[in-house]
Amino acid sequence: MEKLLNIWYASGAYNLSIGQMIMILVGLMLLYLAIHKKFEPLLLLPIGFAGVLANIPQAGMAFSAVENALYFASADVLRDLAVVLGSSSLDPDHLKHLYYDSNASTHAAASLVAQDAGYNNGMLYNFYNIAVASGAAPLIIFMGVGAMTDFGPLLANPRTLFLGAAAQFGIFATVLGAVALTAMGVMDFSLREAAAIGIIGGADGPTAIYVSTMLAPHLLGAIAVSAYAYMALVPMVQPPIMRLLTTQAERKIVMSQLRHVSKLEKILFPLSLLVLVALLLPDAAPLLGMFCFGNLMRECGVVDRLSDTAQNALINIVTIFLGLSVGSKLSADKFLDMQTLGIMLLGIVAFAVGTAAGVLMAKLMNKLMGGNAINPLIGSAGVSAVPMAARVSNKLGLEANPQNFLLMHAMGPNVAGVIGSAVAAGVMIKFVG
Amino acid sequence: MDDLIAEGLSLMVFGMGFVIVFLTLLVFVTSLMSRLVMRFEPAPVAKPAVTRSPSAAQPAQNDAELVAVMTAAIRKFRSDRDGQ
Repeated sequence: MEKLLNIWYASGAYNLSIGQMIMILVGLMLLYLAIHKKFEPLLLLPIGFAGVLANIPQAGMAFSAVENALYFASADVLRDLAVVLGSSSLDPDHLKHLYYDSNASTHAAASLVAQDAGYNNGMLYNFYNIAVASGAAPLIIFMGVGAMTDFGPLLANPRTLFLGAAAQFGIFATVLGAVALTAMGVMDFSLREAAAIGIIGGADGPTAIYVSTMLAPHLLGAIAVSAYAYMALVPMVQPPIMRLLTTQAERKIVMSQLRHVSKLEKILFPLSLLVLVALLLPDAAPLLGMFCFGNLMRECGVVDRLSDTAQNALINIVTIFLGLSVGSKLSADKFLDMQTLGIMLLGIVAFAVGTAAGVLMAKLMNKLMGGNAINPLIGSAGVSAVPMAARVSNKLGLEANPQNFLLMHAMGPNVAGVIGSAVAAGVMIKFVG
Repeated sequence: MDDLIAEGLSLMVFGMGFVIVFLTLLVFVTSLMSRLVMRFEPAPVAKPAVTRSPSAAQPAQNDAELVAVMTAAIRKFRSDRDGQ
């Protein structure tokens, strides 16, 4: 009878807390969105599944050895940990806070004590440390994105870079929004947290993840989930804003055909971008450096095997680990918070403001150049989200004029948006980090 | 609290300013690079035209041959059938 009771006490059903149950439901909802609604399934599927795994009681897959030791808490281990952390109380919650705030050497010492006592890091925790905390996964994905990007349309019409710059306004407006909410006492965000939230408006998953691991790792789960969810919602969020800000005549503007871009130009572009980054903004060098490297592999034409690996096999492998790592941050104590709600709200504002700024910039450029050179619909593609945002521009253009194909023209601001959000990320890290 | 707003504002002004300056420079650098490349590299339009013409001619030649062979075969077939 006692053994039966022991099995019951060790079961998931006995130990399930309300928070964990809600988070498992959140994970299942992400799976539903990924599978049935096809919302960025490549990321939301691993994220949702890891969200479920991270909240299985007693398994501790998303926890470090120390967190697991504190959870299972035998008196001896607690005493040893208290000594290492320099605490007189043996309260596990108190010890956990000390552990979170401790410096690297104390952190390592506590981990060793927990490992001596037979506790280990959970699998998802290890994935997170290796792939995301180190910064490796977002950067490798950025390399793959570089290898998939064709800068041809941008090189044929470099002025579209301005559209990519304007759309980054969404990022900074959202930072201000988050700060204002804090000042009004509605939410409580620090400037670092506000900066990490704003980058959702860059509509670029890897950049958002990279910046939030640097500036606010505890918000990573909420930020990554809202970034990818809103990227999937681009076809619904953008069109009403674009219709509101343009007239029928403007939507009908036909753009002149793009000129031919030589191979040499395509090879020299990533190199010039790299030099510019090195000279002006070294903080964006990890992101844009990997991006330029990937693009050079694609365009130089002598390492097709490497380019192929970077844009297929490697990016797929890394996506799996990135998704699982991000999902491991969906644990109840970190996600079920008013802050998450605020992040979701600010994220959509960031998208909307970015879209509007891109469209308005295109209209301004038309005014300044005194003509109808640019269809304002391609301005919205400045919020990266490659290639979804460009497809939205194309679709709206076709609605206004069935002969008007804007896709290639919209790819220019679209890839400019990727560069723009990486630059914005570098600025954030420099000023706030 | 006002400090935080001020910091947010300055981050917005400096950040957005920097993004615009950086991408403006990139526009200049890119345009300059393209102009240099186009000056030093012979016009790319001529090349594809040259390579295209023989590749276009070849199938045409083949077609003519094929038509001749088929016509001959049909004639032979018809004459054989008429003969029987």
